Amino acid sequence: MGLFTDENRAVSAIEAVKGSPWQLRRVHSPIPSHKISEALNLKKSKVGWFTLAGGITGFFSGFLLAVFTATQWNLIVSGKPVVALVPFFIVGFEFTILFAVFGNVAGLIHQMQLPEFKGLEEYDPRCSGHHFGVTVSCKADDLEGLKHFFQDKGGEVKVISNGFV
Amino acid sequence: MSELTFEKIDQTVLETLKPPDRSYWLTVGILFLGVLTGAACWIYQILTGLGVAGMNNPVAWGTYLINFVFWVGIAHSGTLISAILHLLRAGWRNPIARAAETMTVFAVCIAGLFPFIHLGRVWMVFYMLPVPNQRNLWQNFQSPLMFDVVAISTYLTVSSLFWYTGMLPDLAIIRDRATGVRKKIFKIISLGWTGAHEQWRHYARGYLFFAALATPLVISVHSVVSWDFALGIVPGWHTTIFAPYFVAGAIHSGLAMVLTLMIPIRKLFHYEKIITVNVLENVAKTIIFTGLIVAFSYATEFFMAWYSRNPLEVAIFKYRPTGDYAVGFWIMVICNTMVPLLFFFKRFRTTILWLFVISIFVNIGMWYERYVIIISSVSHDFIPHAWGLYSPSIIEFGIMIGSFCLFFFLYLLFVKHLPSISMTEMKEAVGQGASHAD
Repeated sequence: MGLFTDENRAVSAIEAVKGSPWQLRRVHSPIPSHKISEALNLKKSKVGWFTLAGGITGFFSGFLLAVFTATQWNLIVSGKPVVALVPFFIVGFEFTILFAVFGNVAGLIHQMQLPEFKGLEEYDPRCSGHHFGVTVSCKADDLEGLKHFFQDKGGEVKVISNGFV
Repeated sequence: MSELTFEKIDQTVLETLKPPDRSYWLTVGILFLGVLTGAACWIYQILTGLGVAGMNNPVAWGTYLINFVFWVGIAHSGTLISAILHLLRAGWRNPIARAAETMTVFAVCIAGLFPFIHLGRVWMVFYMLPVPNQRNLWQNFQSPLMFDVVAISTYLTVSSLFWYTGMLPDLAIIRDRATGVRKKIFKIISLGWTGAHEQWRHYARGYLFFAALATPLVISVHSVVSWDFALGIVPGWHTTIFAPYFVAGAIHSGLAMVLTLMIPIRKLFHYEKIITVNVLENVAKTIIFTGLIVAFSYATEFFMAWYSRNPLEVAIFKYRPTGDYAVGFWIMVICNTMVPLLFFFKRFRTTILWLFVISIFVNIGMWYERYVIIISSVSHDFIPHAWGLYSPSIIEFGIMIGSFCLFFFLYLLFVKHLPSISMTEMKEAVGQGASHAD
């Protein structure tokens, strides 16, 4: 792992690794970084689809719950129809938000694969502070070359295990 | 803020999580006694009956409902700051976002207690939940009180999830610097967060959706609370302005509470370089804006009563500034609309003492706003022989004091055990591209 205190240097190392025989495994950063996202050509997250699915489910759940409870007794209240669209829309709206948020959380858990504690083995605690960590795998005989590469890029080298630097 | 580095931010915030001294535990202990007082009053009310409260016929809604609306209102600026200002990319929100979100979560919890207290027979609460029971009774979702159950539950759930999700990267920072049992605890609650690019990719998107969903929610929740009143035909309540008026008032009171909480914390935790005067000044400017909306709403209510020529509406709006609750009315007007105008002067916006004092005035004024709206209307509604007066009983005062103590008790526990400033968002605000170490 190459540890950089400068985001631009980390980005430069990522760009250089892309044209090398080494394999970029992971990048750790203390903040979400647009520059790193661009360097890695990251696609848009699919979390939104979970959110959307939750929202649609929520609206119909809320609205139909209100319809169900109202039709159990069929009483006309305040002159409004038994299945009153406007008040039930409010219940539908609140359930839309609630279930969309549930969907969002489920999407985050599913996409980020959390909780996941094995990732901590290939991680340096400084990456939550002020370091940007670029984890690259290489063959054992390439290790020295990779170390020099990170040092040349202005990073600090941490060997995590055989093959991961 | 330019003097800040990533390391300094971490150091400053982590410093606040070191074991507290005796004065902290003494304060926590005093507040806990206040909580016990409130709990004892509630238990006494449950054992004796709702008659121990000052509520009567016609004033069947007293301080329990006043405090319910007050605390829901306090909860609103947390979402304004964390969600709406996030969507608007207002950088000054970052230092106070976490504190405001936490305030939201605790305030909604406390607000949620008051309908239970107001019920009297609290064990009957399940009648408000859509669960099958032996008499096959179901809720009527045409009632705004049922909207309230759904809206407040949704708001509590969403704001808690938003708060926890936003805290994940910060929990990982604490985990990485903790030892022993504390490390194990934070390892679990940070869910193994490592800040890997794949995690950030989904997290940033998910957080954006959280903000986008919380924004309409916050507006809907206080609108729903306002409909508890506006959908009734009581003079002074039955008006369409209530929803925007309540939302603006909620944000007004919430922002004032943010100042009330953040100013002492800023001093005690040496957050001066993070929560700069500029941040507090921006909160003050927003208070001017919400204060003017509230003032406009007060004026509109009077105008509409006069313009409608409805004798009941005219009567209630003559009664409010001159009747039995006139003191409350004028406290409301002065504290909510006139005192915040002092923030037009830079000296008041940038002097910490003035910011704190004015925030207290607004808090008091907003409590009285709910007092005036709720009590004056039902005590003086349609038929003169049915009019009546209300004053809270000692039990109600006990429960109210208990609720304030509970809020500050929870808040004090929070600030010493979890990061009261979002380190990650502060790092984002400091800027990217530069070297991040000292």
